[in-house]
Amino acid sequence: MRHVEIFNLVKSYPNPFGAAFDAVVDFNLNIEEGEFVGLIGHSGCGKSTVLTMLAGLNEISDGGIVVAGREIDGAGPDRAVVFQSPCLMPWMSAFGNVMLGVANVYPHATKAQRKQIVEYALSSVGLQDAMDKYPREMSGGMQQRVGIARAIALKPKVLLLDEPFGRLDSLTRMELQDVILEILNREKITTVLVSHDVDEVVFLCDRVVMMTNGPAATIGEILAIDFPKPRDRADMMKDPLYFQCLDHLVSFLTERAHLRTEPRIHDSTSLLTFTGKKVETTSHQNHAVA
Amino acid sequence: MVPQIQFPTLTADLIMKYKILKAIDISGLNFLSPVVRLIAQEDPRKQLHEIGRFIIVPIVAFAAFLFLWSALAPKHRTKAGEVPTPGVVWDASKGVWLFHKRETAKADAYLMNSAERRKTLQQATTRLARLDALEAEANRQISDIKAASKEKFDAYVAPSKTAYDAKRAEFRTAKINRENSLKEKAALLATQGTDARIAYLARIRENAVTTEQEKEQLKLLKTTYTEAQTKTFPEVKKAQQAITKLAEERQFLSKYSEMLGAGSRESKTTESESLLAESKNKFLTATDGDFYRLGNTVVKSEDLLATTETSHYAKPWTLPKQIVRSLLCVFTGFLVASAIAIPIGILCGLSPTFMAAMTPFIALFKPVSPLVWLPIIMIIVGGFMPEPENHWLVKALDHVPILKNYKVDPMFLSSALTVALCSLWATLVNTALGVASIEKDHLNVAKVLRLGFTARLFKIVIPTALPLIFAGLRISLAVGWMVLVAAEILSTSQGIGKFVNDMYTNGSSESFAQMFVVVFIVGIIGMFLDRIMIIFQRLVSFDTAGSAI
Repeated sequence: MRHVEIFNLVKSYPNPFGAAFDAVVDFNLNIEEGEFVGLIGHSGCGKSTVLTMLAGLNEISDGGIVVAGREIDGAGPDRAVVFQSPCLMPWMSAFGNVMLGVANVYPHATKAQRKQIVEYALSSVGLQDAMDKYPREMSGGMQQRVGIARAIALKPKVLLLDEPFGRLDSLTRMELQDVILEILNREKITTVLVSHDVDEVVFLCDRVVMMTNGPAATIGEILAIDFPKPRDRADMMKDPLYFQCLDHLVSFLTERAHLRTEPRIHDSTSLLTFTGKKVETTSHQNHAVA
Repeated sequence: MVPQIQFPTLTADLIMKYKILKAIDISGLNFLSPVVRLIAQEDPRKQLHEIGRFIIVPIVAFAAFLFLWSALAPKHRTKAGEVPTPGVVWDASKGVWLFHKRETAKADAYLMNSAERRKTLQQATTRLARLDALEAEANRQISDIKAASKEKFDAYVAPSKTAYDAKRAEFRTAKINRENSLKEKAALLATQGTDARIAYLARIRENAVTTEQEKEQLKLLKTTYTEAQTKTFPEVKKAQQAITKLAEERQFLSKYSEMLGAGSRESKTTESESLLAESKNKFLTATDGDFYRLGNTVVKSEDLLATTETSHYAKPWTLPKQIVRSLLCVFTGFLVASAIAIPIGILCGLSPTFMAAMTPFIALFKPVSPLVWLPIIMIIVGGFMPEPENHWLVKALDHVPILKNYKVDPMFLSSALTVALCSLWATLVNTALGVASIEKDHLNVAKVLRLGFTARLFKIVIPTALPLIFAGLRISLAVGWMVLVAAEILSTSQGIGKFVNDMYTNGSSESFAQMFVVVFIVGIIGMFLDRIMIIFQRLVSFDTAGSAI
């Protein structure tokens, strides 16, 4: 079932001294309910632009986005966002920050019910004992945990992660990736993750959308990653398929991201049938040149 | 399940230390933190260094200032005597306080009931009796001191006296000699021609000029001599001051005894009651007489009794009371300013259009001096209150708990409004800046959470702007406090400014010293107001940004 449909999405910025500048063009993507999709690409390629348009924080120039059967119009709590910086209100405790959204989204819930929702969200990110802490008393990782709790407490139709671990050290990043996986295994929320970290997208996502370089960025290739869920980092690291996927993403980013091609769709199991990545890349380059 | 995050535990001592340091930091008294750290034995060398820099150096600087002041002040003479030294100013401040205490004692005495009144009266009488002996002793002392210093005094005056006397005698004889010689020459002129006569005229002129010069010289000597005569040696001065003090106490005690005795409310009431009883009796028992007149007397006696029963001692304004009134005035103005500036500032920050509309007013009225606003406001307020005593606002303020003791009048309101008009700009501009500088990320969060206008305003916009709003309020309060004293001088509204104005008009050396007292009082109060605002500002600041001192 198509949960999110993005069709012919365009983002262009008007230029008073010439033709409009197209940041993203012809972006088409369907996302199934409960699917975890990653968007990867070079800096400035427009992956965040797509995400913010999906969130409703950025105006759509052309095309449209449909979420759960309704075209989106502006931002809303049905598409909760975890931003790159935690964006917590510094004058509110962790509890207050999560409650800010909860109070608005569940207007008919009783006080006790709301409190329960907030406490549940905070404990599911591991902050049971830090509910009364203020952002200044928490590390970056803890602050981002609160950001995640704030998003999932809204029970969104789509969870949007905009490079949520970009500013964290690698150990904290791994911790938070586990936190996210844990929650999604339980809640089955449709999720879109923007990232430039290949390990992260391979570990977390069901499908990875690789974007070509801007301007006029669009989808270059899509790779399905067919690891069984729940995933275990140690197990995955032992699997050669994991490295095949990494190789594929890295080779796209380093060798093919600047090319204009028809979007190619791969299945990670099919990668195993190739003799090596060289074959794969060569065929693509040939195709592009031809 | 995700593992829960653990926090390290601190010992009770450390928690105590950090709590104290945090309190010091919030109150902006950072110079105390090295002392606390030293007591906690944390890097003593560094702490001693910091104590040296932030405690010892300021104390030394202030001591140097006091020394310079004491040295330089007596060198300048004014119409109101020498510029007072720190010691004189300290004595003047004690005088101000003593006056306040005595007036309060009188006011209390007036209201005392019989038992307490008699006891206090007895104490006062005893003291008065002791004063006689003390005064006799002081007088004896001063005559002793004067006798002892007579020789010293004479020796001090002698050189200038002899110089003056000698010159006076010398000039007198010289003048007589010159005149005699001129007169002799005049006798010869009858036989001499024009040339000789004209030459003689020049001699007369010369004589006049010389006489004038001698007079000038003599005048200078005379001044030195009189100045030497007015010299009072410190010990004499001290004895005189002691006598003055005793005389003042005697004056106070006699007035105080009167307030405790015949002049007390109780005695006056009894007196009025007997008067009433008498006149009533006369009216009721008279068989023949002017009943109209007698009746009138009864009614008047009744009225008199009623006023006496609720009367108070007409206590004059003392400086402490004036200070409280000034504080009330500045806070009234400050409240009005905040009530206007914060909402308008928020609107300015939210809407660039509204900001554009307000810009000309801010630019135009911000630089206007309080000395221009005050007369205008006084006239406008006066226009609203042709009869201030009957105006609803004055009547309403008469029921406000603290304000009612400080006689709110149009002058008070004008001063407060002037304070408001001059101080609101800082808050307005800072609030607008605070609201406008809200982070885009926070607005995005608000959009995603779909917060309504009020939630956005109270949960995001105002909290963001609060530190800057308080920074503005702090500046406003400081400006208001400065403006107020000027406004009070000009409006002669009771308060610190009125006190300064009275002392200036008075012009005695003591009132000159009391004006210096006011400088320090205004400074210290201003400092405390600023500290309070710093604490508020720190409490609403969610980040750990340092504040200016």
